[in-house]
Amino acid sequence: MARKTVLIDTSLCTGCKACSVACKAWNELPAEKTQLLTSYQTQNAFTTKTWTYMTFVEKYEDQKMNWLMRKAQCFHCADPSCMKACSSNAITKTESGYVVIDQEKCIGCGYCVENCPFGVPKVDQVKKKSYKCTGCIDRVENNLLPACVNTCQPGALSFGERDVVLTQAKKRLAEVQKTHPKAQLYGEKEMGGTTYLYLLLDSPEVYDLPVNPTVPLSLTLWKDVIRPVGTVAVGGAAAAVVLGVFANLFRGNYSNSDHKEGGKD
Amino acid sequence: MDVSRRGFFKLSGLSIAALAAGLGFDPAVAEAKGYALKLEGTKKIPSICHFCSGGCGMLLYVKEGKLIHLEGDPDHPTNEGTLCPKAASLLSVANSPDRVTKPRRRAPGADKWEDISWEEALDIVAKKTKEVRDASWKVADQIVNAKTGLTESLTVNRVEGIAFLGSAEVDNEESYLIKKFCQLIGTPYNEHQARI
Amino acid sequence: MSPSFGRGAMTNSWSDLKNAEVFLIAGSNCAENHPIAMKWINRAKENGAKIIVVDPRFTRTASKADIFAQIRPGTDIAYLGAIINYIIEQKLYDQKYVLNYTNALLKVSTDYKLEDGLFSGYDAKTRKYGTASWGYQLGPDKKPLKAESIEDPDSVFSKLKAHYSRYTFDTAEKISGIPAAKIKEIADVFCKGKPASILYALGMTQHTTGVQGIRAYAIIQLLLGNIGKAGGGINALRGEPNVQGSTDMANLVSNLPGYLPHPINTDKTLRDYLVRNGSFFEKHIVAQLKAWFGENATKDNDYGFSLLPKTNPAVNATMVKLFEMMNKEQFKLLFNVGSNSLVSIPDRQLVRSALTKLDMLVVSDLFEIETAQFWREPGVNPADIKTEVIMFPAAFVYEKAGSMSNSSRWIQWKDAALEPLGESLPDLDMLDHLFKKIRKLYAGSTDVKDAPILKARWDYGEHTSALKVLQELSGYDETTGKLLPTIGDYLKAPIGTASTGCWIYAGVTGNGNLAARRNNADPSGLGLFKDWSFAWPGNVRILYNRASCDEAGQPVDAKRKLIWWDEAAKVWAGNDGGDLVDKTKGPDTPEGKLSFRMNPEGVGRLFAATYMSGLPAEAPADGLPAIGIRPAGICVDGPLPEFYEPTESPTTNILHPEVSISPCALVVSTQIGKSDKFPHVLTTYGVVEHFCAGGITRNIPWLNEIMPEPFAEISKNLAAKIKVVEGDMVEVSSARGKITVRALVTDRLQSYKVNGKDTETIGMPWSWGFASLSPGPSTNEITIAALDPGAGTPEYKVCLVDIRRAN
Repeated sequence: MARKTVLIDTSLCTGCKACSVACKAWNELPAEKTQLLTSYQTQNAFTTKTWTYMTFVEKYEDQKMNWLMRKAQCFHCADPSCMKACSSNAITKTESGYVVIDQEKCIGCGYCVENCPFGVPKVDQVKKKSYKCTGCIDRVENNLLPACVNTCQPGALSFGERDVVLTQAKKRLAEVQKTHPKAQLYGEKEMGGTTYLYLLLDSPEVYDLPVNPTVPLSLTLWKDVIRPVGTVAVGGAAAAVVLGVFANLFRGNYSNSDHKEGGKD
Repeated sequence: MDVSRRGFFKLSGLSIAALAAGLGFDPAVAEAKGYALKLEGTKKIPSICHFCSGGCGMLLYVKEGKLIHLEGDPDHPTNEGTLCPKAASLLSVANSPDRVTKPRRRAPGADKWEDISWEEALDIVAKKTKEVRDASWKVADQIVNAKTGLTESLTVNRVEGIAFLGSAEVDNEESYLIKKFCQLIGTPYNEHQARI
Repeated sequence: MSPSFGRGAMTNSWSDLKNAEVFLIAGSNCAENHPIAMKWINRAKENGAKIIVVDPRFTRTASKADIFAQIRPGTDIAYLGAIINYIIEQKLYDQKYVLNYTNALLKVSTDYKLEDGLFSGYDAKTRKYGTASWGYQLGPDKKPLKAESIEDPDSVFSKLKAHYSRYTFDTAEKISGIPAAKIKEIADVFCKGKPASILYALGMTQHTTGVQGIRAYAIIQLLLGNIGKAGGGINALRGEPNVQGSTDMANLVSNLPGYLPHPINTDKTLRDYLVRNGSFFEKHIVAQLKAWFGENATKDNDYGFSLLPKTNPAVNATMVKLFEMMNKEQFKLLFNVGSNSLVSIPDRQLVRSALTKLDMLVVSDLFEIETAQFWREPGVNPADIKTEVIMFPAAFVYEKAGSMSNSSRWIQWKDAALEPLGESLPDLDMLDHLFKKIRKLYAGSTDVKDAPILKARWDYGEHTSALKVLQELSGYDETTGKLLPTIGDYLKAPIGTASTGCWIYAGVTGNGNLAARRNNADPSGLGLFKDWSFAWPGNVRILYNRASCDEAGQPVDAKRKLIWWDEAAKVWAGNDGGDLVDKTKGPDTPEGKLSFRMNPEGVGRLFAATYMSGLPAEAPADGLPAIGIRPAGICVDGPLPEFYEPTESPTTNILHPEVSISPCALVVSTQIGKSDKFPHVLTTYGVVEHFCAGGITRNIPWLNEIMPEPFAEISKNLAAKIKVVEGDMVEVSSARGKITVRALVTDRLQSYKVNGKDTETIGMPWSWGFASLSPGPSTNEITIAALDPGAGTPEYKVCLVDIRRAN
């Protein structure tokens, strides 16, 4: 399956949060206790049970209100640091561009949590598993739209082949920039180009997004230089331990107690 | 909720991909096959949303009489498969533990409900309807005729003691029967939230 | 709408919104309350359409607007009046449309006037108008006299012009708080775009001047020629899933199904009823009596007209008034099916008190809503409450077969997808079983009062069949017992030979169940979808579409062709069903000219005149009063919209200080606040995450997660003044009560000036109550029960409050 992309056109988003509900309904995730945080926002971080949520920013300038709404979820990076950090080969990337966690392999080490520039994956400390948006890979691979895209009434979310979506996004951007000069795409190049691509009405900082998200150098070293060797040489289980040790040395808090079940494959 | 238990992520091709790692393939590309869909074996039944007046189409995925999943009806021309958050949440109403599932009675002055049978509940309400109807029957209005200044007796044949609040959240057939029921027992006092 | 166009329904459809060039969304927050609208509005926007939003708050809808104006709640008529004035002064109206398709030229009675805020005919004692002076000048044929030109001082157009000449942009600014330049900008953008669509909902109706606000919209759209056209219209976004249908079925005290007037006490016979209401209704009420009483309704017994109860028109028992009557102990038994009045009625203390006066309350619902357990609301001692409560478990929408009519008037059928949960049953079954039980209790009675029950036709099968009920609505040939194939067959059938429970639904199941049709083809690309379900009337998708054509019957807008006269075939053809009396009557015939055929004048009504069509020139020889054909819809509070302050207002009406508020408003609340103690304006509304009184949505955890609690939205200025920061709790109080909620401090509300005085609007959603998985204070604890005199709709959108930090 060719590279796919979801465009999140925030100029069309009405902040209705249907995407949040559709995500929970499809993935059978329970509701969490919340309260109003700011504006109409009730959640401000991912959890093991919340894989997408809506952010609201109110910006009042020159007697003009801009109410900026953004659906937050995993970006499904082309160059995913979570995958690079993963100690157990549990995180993989599909041809279609989805970054998915194999729950059977995941050992809950938390490196993906530590290394994601967007704070996406979260580890369930009881189950010792890491959770995040799957991109509805099960739906996509069966020719269904992701649940969030499928439900979006104002048409802010669209899904398709990457080049088609990019062309559409750029055309739309030119239109939107007439009224919002700071509008820009986010995710075209960031992290190697993300599967979830935004059309933002303002600069990323306004949305509390990192301006230049990057993969930590340590991870690049590991993933691309040392680990392939390790995998071939010593097999999955050992590689996981090796990677874990190395990554933790970099962080200076090495502890291998979580890694016992690491390499059952 | 144990996601892994549900078997959505059976990456059957994954170990093959992993083995290929040292052979020059990208180790991280999963096989694009093998994602089990929970909708397999379900029957798709269309319905209509129960919230605003959009009349959006919903598609219910039903297996062995149980609602497995609900989403927008892609064939529906108004919503084309999309749903708002309220409609998207309607999976939960079918199986909600908070639904009232038995008729109940709260006795005068009581501080709790008691479950009763349909038969019993209907009997109580039918009897009460007759009692109030018979007691509050009004044969005629006495109206002063504006032109003549005389009091006229105008036949009205209506019930004064029963009111019926219908609903904009029930089906046409139900709304119609509510009106017909009211008119037949003789009460014109039938209103509902369309007014407000 | 009905007094302007003849029908009280959304003129166009959801999917038609994509055809608009410009939107005025005012009195609707559709992104929240009708999310599906945004799909089609965004589609128009992507094609270059402009969106204007006027609202007391910068809403989620406003976030998509090109122009946004913050208005003081309840002052719409002021700025709309200024726009009407501008359209007339600048001659921006569609001259041909105005001349051909409105009553602009008809001459108004010389007795008509407006003085100091009062129209002619006002009776200060009853606070009601006599409407005789609001009529036309009639010729000897009893038809309205027509002026030579719109300049004639007696013409409707001249009256309109004079009326709105007082509404300048500056005056409108002082009243509404919208800068004059902004109002002009709105007028310019809206008048330029053709077709232009207006969207409204409860933001417009929930005022003591609600009906008149909609009338102002109608005047604008008639002047601009936007009614009857794809992408135009006045789109009344109805609130609930079947509010169109439940209104069609007349769960309203003033009507019978199909908008037939309810018989009143002076209607001693069917003839009296027709004298009052016109012969138009004869066929329809007889067909309904046949549907209800079958062979017991004959010509000889006046078709059983005496079996119907008659109301006392002096008793205006609309929804809120019912609770007032209940509180005065009129009712002993209340049925409450699918509504939650204890949360939804303004000044809800009235409901709380009224329910205790009942012997029995019968509730049918899915969840244990607040109304069902009013006897154990916190602070109430159940032992003190003697009301017996029976609660039936209702089946949910997808657990029952039946149809609902959406805002586009599409009657959509659905089969049951699931068995009802537990012992729950559709309300249809409950009503069927209950009626049969009651009938059994009366078996053998010869009492006149029991005749309606015993003579009724009531047979919906062993297992109550919704389809059988819909077939009763669709109608039968009573001579053969067969279903009437189409509404045309019904209309052709001689009186007394056909039955239908609701004539506007005639034919819906005549050729199979048309409401269940699922062909979503749209060959015209206009979003008509005419083979999907069935739209009343007669599958017309865009109401009044005759007005989309010129005098010759050809489409004015070549890009958006709805219908046209096919001269060769001598028939009206088109992409849509024609909203016509007779498809074979060409544009040169009187019938073929009627653009608004439900109005007695056959045209759109700029001025809502009193009028009955078809009255004979000479009184009948038999001395009986004459029967006309059709009466015009009247607004009880005036033939032209006039601005009045809300019942609780922070200021005085600058147009006529002596008549500041609506002289006809029905004020039910006993506690009325003044601006010295309650200086701020409160407006209330729904949010997208919850629905109405929350009876269902507050029991859905996923929805509670995304909107967990009620709140009060306040401006930063007000927050600073009362020393509150976002997240603090605040106490909001009115003359009727107080509640404590979280403060949401926002730039989306700005302080504004009203008649020179700084003013603040506070916004609060109202969907919470003491029960459910997500209980919260009910905003209707503090709202005012003051009603529109015509519609009976409460002024939820405006009352006066004070606010302080809660500790």
